[in-house]
Amino acid sequence: MIRSGPGRLFFTVLVALLFLFLLGPVLLVFPLSFAADSVITWPPSGFSVKWYLALLGQPDLALALRNSLVLAAIVTGLALVVALPAAVAIGRGQFAGRDALMTLISMPLLLPTIVLGLALLILFVGQGLIGSWTGLVLAHLLVTVPYALRVLVTALGTLPASVEEAASSLGAPALSVFFRITLPLMAPGLIAAAAIVFLVSFDEVVITLFIVGPKLTTLPVALFHYVESRTDPLVAAVSVLMVLFSLGLVAVLERAVGLRRAVGGKGG
Amino acid sequence: MSATPRNLLPLLVLPAVAVNLFTFLWPMLNLAGLSFREGLPGGGIGAAFSLATWGDLLADEFYLEILLRSVGMALGITGLALLASYPIAFFVHRADARWRNLLVVACISPLLISAVVRTYGWLVILGDAGFLPVILRGLGFAPPRLVFNMTGVVIGLVEILMPYMILSLLAGFGRLNQTLEEAAASLGAPPLVVFWRIVLPLTLPGILLGCLLVFVLTVSSFITPKLLGGGRVLLLATEIYDQAIVTLNWPLAAALSLIALGVFGAALLVYGRISRAAERSIA
Amino acid sequence: MTQAAPGTAPHLLLDRLEKRFGTTLAVQALSLSVGRGELLGLLGPSGCGKTTTLRMIGGLMPASGGRIVVAGRDVTALPPHRRDMGIVFQNYALFPHMTVAQNLSFGLEMRKVPAAERAARVQKALEMVRLGAFAARRPRELSGGQQQRVALARALVIEPSILLLDEPLSNLDANLREEMRNEIRDIQQRLGITAVFVTHDQAEALAICDRIAVMRGGVLEQLGTPYEIYERPASEFVAGFVGRANRMAAVREASGAVQLGPLRLQGSGEAAPGPVTVMIRPHRIALCDAVPEGEGWNGATGRVARSTFIGDLLSLEVEIGGASLLVEQHTFAGRAMPRPGEAATLRWRAEDTLVFPRSAAA
Repeated sequence: MIRSGPGRLFFTVLVALLFLFLLGPVLLVFPLSFAADSVITWPPSGFSVKWYLALLGQPDLALALRNSLVLAAIVTGLALVVALPAAVAIGRGQFAGRDALMTLISMPLLLPTIVLGLALLILFVGQGLIGSWTGLVLAHLLVTVPYALRVLVTALGTLPASVEEAASSLGAPALSVFFRITLPLMAPGLIAAAAIVFLVSFDEVVITLFIVGPKLTTLPVALFHYVESRTDPLVAAVSVLMVLFSLGLVAVLERAVGLRRAVGGKGG
Repeated sequence: MSATPRNLLPLLVLPAVAVNLFTFLWPMLNLAGLSFREGLPGGGIGAAFSLATWGDLLADEFYLEILLRSVGMALGITGLALLASYPIAFFVHRADARWRNLLVVACISPLLISAVVRTYGWLVILGDAGFLPVILRGLGFAPPRLVFNMTGVVIGLVEILMPYMILSLLAGFGRLNQTLEEAAASLGAPPLVVFWRIVLPLTLPGILLGCLLVFVLTVSSFITPKLLGGGRVLLLATEIYDQAIVTLNWPLAAALSLIALGVFGAALLVYGRISRAAERSIA
Repeated sequence: MTQAAPGTAPHLLLDRLEKRFGTTLAVQALSLSVGRGELLGLLGPSGCGKTTTLRMIGGLMPASGGRIVVAGRDVTALPPHRRDMGIVFQNYALFPHMTVAQNLSFGLEMRKVPAAERAARVQKALEMVRLGAFAARRPRELSGGQQQRVALARALVIEPSILLLDEPLSNLDANLREEMRNEIRDIQQRLGITAVFVTHDQAEALAICDRIAVMRGGVLEQLGTPYEIYERPASEFVAGFVGRANRMAAVREASGAVQLGPLRLQGSGEAAPGPVTVMIRPHRIALCDAVPEGEGWNGATGRVARSTFIGDLLSLEVEIGGASLLVEQHTFAGRAMPRPGEAATLRWRAEDTLVFPRSAAA
């Protein structure tokens, strides 16, 4: 109970500082990306857009960006195709082992990604999947299907089954009920699931590190290797673009369904 | 719905199960098996069952050190993340409804930004020519080195994992109700006693969940220790990567992975114990 | 209005108490006093400032102006944990992680009462609310009424100087509510404790309070005994809020008589000549054979528009001139039930004809 006076002031200042700590790294990248210097310098000696222009001269990063976008798009489509039937089965079916199934499919999210990456590397080498699109898509499905399933099951849970029962009592066969009633009502959940899957795939780096090959890499992996070798404001420029992209996607998500519902946070 | 689709409904999980089997269960079992082979020089793997990898691993104090460092660092980061997140979560919980949504988004949004970008942000702040050392030098201090050592890794990971802690705490604050605090105050409890006797016990489940999450995420973190540690902070995750990619000793990497899973299991057990005890005393 | 109830010493005094939220005044210059051992009701619709007033008394909310004095001591600036007031909250606010006994013990621990004495007092308080066997239960294992009694016992076990009750019955169902209000009243009188009781339910306030303060829009409309509030409401608002009433626009003449459509009535009330509102309670109107003549009585003849039998009551809607009067009669076997369309003759006393200046808001 902080009512008033110096205690409250102290608490407010403390919280402000902690927020600064939490958001500082992302915020500071913005001014840095406009630095005119060729290495990281504080304060920047001047401001320019030269690092954004320099991005145009980075065909490797551009290719990696293209790969990441294509990969995320494919993974989004496939993850929904895989997760939607499973969500219907788990959300509407009455069969033993539904909880166990949910746990099994959610399990990859609970385990260290470095271990998952290593396990996939060892298996995929034998299958010739390393450095291949198939390998990357499979690896990303591993960590995106659980998110998609969770969001879709939640979305289905908030739909009253009585609406579907009403439709079938009016004479609609099961498939019509699904496509004419259930699916349209699940639209916000589908949008949320798609956005989350896209973001997770687009940002995935540890597992991907193990699967990429010399000819096929993604933007986060390329950035990781870039930062590993040097830190110049070029990465800041890329980071700004990635942050803006992520925030844009989040804004779309918030518009469509509300962020807190989408990530499964408690409402109210 | 007619009878047939109802009976066929469970079949709809098959694609998801297939993905899980091929990308999770099979690779993980394969990985576990690999730790019982011998790694040969040059990246080869012995064909026969062997305990050599486990023998080497358990005999070498270097790996014990890595394990202890990983667990110790994870515990420390968990504590710091809790200290840094609790005031934020408390503040957000208490904020007016219209501010609260905005603040929650501010807390969650870092989660949606690549760990590489956020770690890079810390290199910008903590690096030798970075924001913080420049300010400290400007104020007349001689700052210690803040990157490519444990300090940098801890600072970076605390910040990067805070959103998980904040979310868990906020979920736990759901049990809290301001009239409970008012009731305690009306019965004569000064603010600190209210916090200790009412607020803390009621928010304990959220605290425990947040601690579990941050602990396991620290143990499995790789990008941040690699970049902010500059290869000088040796942890389980970085060692698994180095053995797998640099040294090409996959059986050893597999054995280290199982140890990491063991740490996870232990953390879950401890969490289960404590939270059951807490649950009993709370509800 | 700041005098305590006759025959008792003032115990709690509110002196020009005020609460501002931004630019709105939630409570305006509220002055009243509560005698020792008195149960004062704060009654009003939601948003009238009654709960805000209670929270200021309890220290849960700082006052924007004015003073709160308990037994001669100014407590306005004291934090809640030093006010020594027992509060019963609307949602009970029982600590979910403590047993019933621990809930009761909490306040005694804060007062550093030795363990042995604590246990004895907790048990005694639980027995007072007939929950002696429930000490080891958790709050969520109790019914609503039991939780309510634990909340009451927890507030009383610390022997506070004043007991504050914030809509304590609003979460209970109707039967239990009546039982609990009597129990609260009994315990309050047995202990002789000074209490302030916030409610929006006029029946509750009338039933158990020594005096009632009717509030509206942050202002004290009337302070008086239940009888005074009901029989001599100080304003049209009080008359309408406490009990039910027919409400009609009329004009008062210089002679004091009131012209209501074609009817000429005798009325009570100080309203000046001009536009007025006339209020008559439905059960004070009686069916009779002929319009009464003479001092002290009003009467009228009309046509029954609707007749409803509700068991113990007969409810009639009678049209008189342009107005429609609601009339309620107790039923008894053999009483004739007027049918719609029939003529009805009504009478009521002049003192039941309440006349108020016509207010813009009403």
